[in-house]
Amino acid sequence: MTGTNKMSPGTFVDGTLVVARRELSATFDTPIAYVYTIAFALLANSIFMNEFFLTGTVDMGSFFGVLPLLLAFFVPAITMRLWAEERKQRTIEFLLTLPILPAQAILGKFLASLGLIGVLAATSFPIPIMLAVLGEPDLGLIASGYLGFVLLGSLLLAVGMLASALSTDQIVSFVAATLGGFLLVLSGDPRVVAVLDGVSPGLALGTNLADSFSALPHFEDLARGVIELSALIYFIALPAALLWTTSLVLERNRS
Amino acid sequence: MIRVEQATKHYGATVAVDAVSFTIGAGEIVGFLGPNGAGKSTLLKMVSTWLPPTSGKITVAGHDVETEALAVRRSLGYLPEHNALYEVMRVDRFLHFVARMRGLQGAQITERIDWAVGTCALEAVTGKRISECSKGYRQRIGLAAALLHDPAVLLLDEPTHGLDPLQAVAFLDFVRELSAERAILFSSHVLSEVTAVSERLLIINHGRLLADTPVAEFKQRASDSGGTLDDAVLDVVRSDARARGGASA
Repeated sequence: MTGTNKMSPGTFVDGTLVVARRELSATFDTPIAYVYTIAFALLANSIFMNEFFLTGTVDMGSFFGVLPLLLAFFVPAITMRLWAEERKQRTIEFLLTLPILPAQAILGKFLASLGLIGVLAATSFPIPIMLAVLGEPDLGLIASGYLGFVLLGSLLLAVGMLASALSTDQIVSFVAATLGGFLLVLSGDPRVVAVLDGVSPGLALGTNLADSFSALPHFEDLARGVIELSALIYFIALPAALLWTTSLVLERNRS
Repeated sequence: MIRVEQATKHYGATVAVDAVSFTIGAGEIVGFLGPNGAGKSTLLKMVSTWLPPTSGKITVAGHDVETEALAVRRSLGYLPEHNALYEVMRVDRFLHFVARMRGLQGAQITERIDWAVGTCALEAVTGKRISECSKGYRQRIGLAAALLHDPAVLLLDEPTHGLDPLQAVAFLDFVRELSAERAILFSSHVLSEVTAVSERLLIINHGRLLADTPVAEFKQRASDSGGTLDDAVLDVVRSDARARGGASA
């Protein structure tokens, strides 16, 4: 790979953080980030409040129940511009001929987007605060759910980043990432699993997809407070593989 | 400072650059001339480490572009064709970003940004977004970014593209001032610009290097033939076109 060189860990981290800061500031330099942050906050909080008043239980189950589909839609809105914009505006040549490794640019953009996922998560903090005032929620359960929020968000970010590297058109990137996200989420939905198992009785396609591919069972475990090693490996290995694939795509685009 | 040996670039079956070789030393400013699509930008992209050569060897300040890309990038300032910049960023923040990416630290950052802003006359636009700046300012912002780390080698790809004639003259004067200690490779398809600034011309067409000749020699040829400098330079391309026509016939 062009650009393969040695670099000290400190220099690597410094360069990555400089890319991340620029990316985060570029995101908030346009009104789009504010619009979808507010939209996410309104949607997520109102869905929870509706369920909360219907059931009256002091937990965040209804919030985390709807979260995977919300993230599958909102995360691509964060990622669609990451590489597509760089390629369309031709700034990618400027960025990747600075003395940094492609991995620093990829990780910098990933970290900046993860920061935005953190902002989205923070917009829901009024919910646990309200629950703590009204009763005695299981804070461990809530913390585990937020861990799932960040891990699922990072997986969908990696999917979106790859989609963004594959196209110069942000809309195409958005649609591709949304499809990828929904596939990862819905393949674990019991109704989808039942339908797929029904159409392929010998293969048990739905069950196999849910067990080996889907993010939903792992996320649901975390939302229930169950932190399995397999879930952590899944949420670290799959994004890492997707980011590595992104680097290959960028390298292919270059040559 | 720049050594290109048999550099070749293929895009599928198309040969964009065909076994080109030349060297450029410190203090030299060399014009890179050729029609649109001749292979100028492809070659500059290879020297800048953006494109890997299909074959051949390119070194910048002694570093190989393929195996020591980071060292090459540290040694050179590159103003790519189209000079794409981050439109939504403010000029001062953009320069700060580039300085940090270049590894500058602490007071060095302020010192070098102040120098680049002064040298490229950007004082009036430092607080503006790049998208609000005129084409002339944008070229100078790109050049300021390329100069921030005081590189030994400068690659300028069509740097006067989009500038009005007065801006182009001012820009070329500025480039000439920069050449004292640097190796500068300056590409253009505007003949008068290249001959005005450069000491030596590289002429490329259909990916092949047709000439690596001092401007003084072209002036001598023009004087001997009673023609213009432009004619003397264009004769090289015309001869190649005739030879190609003959070869294809």
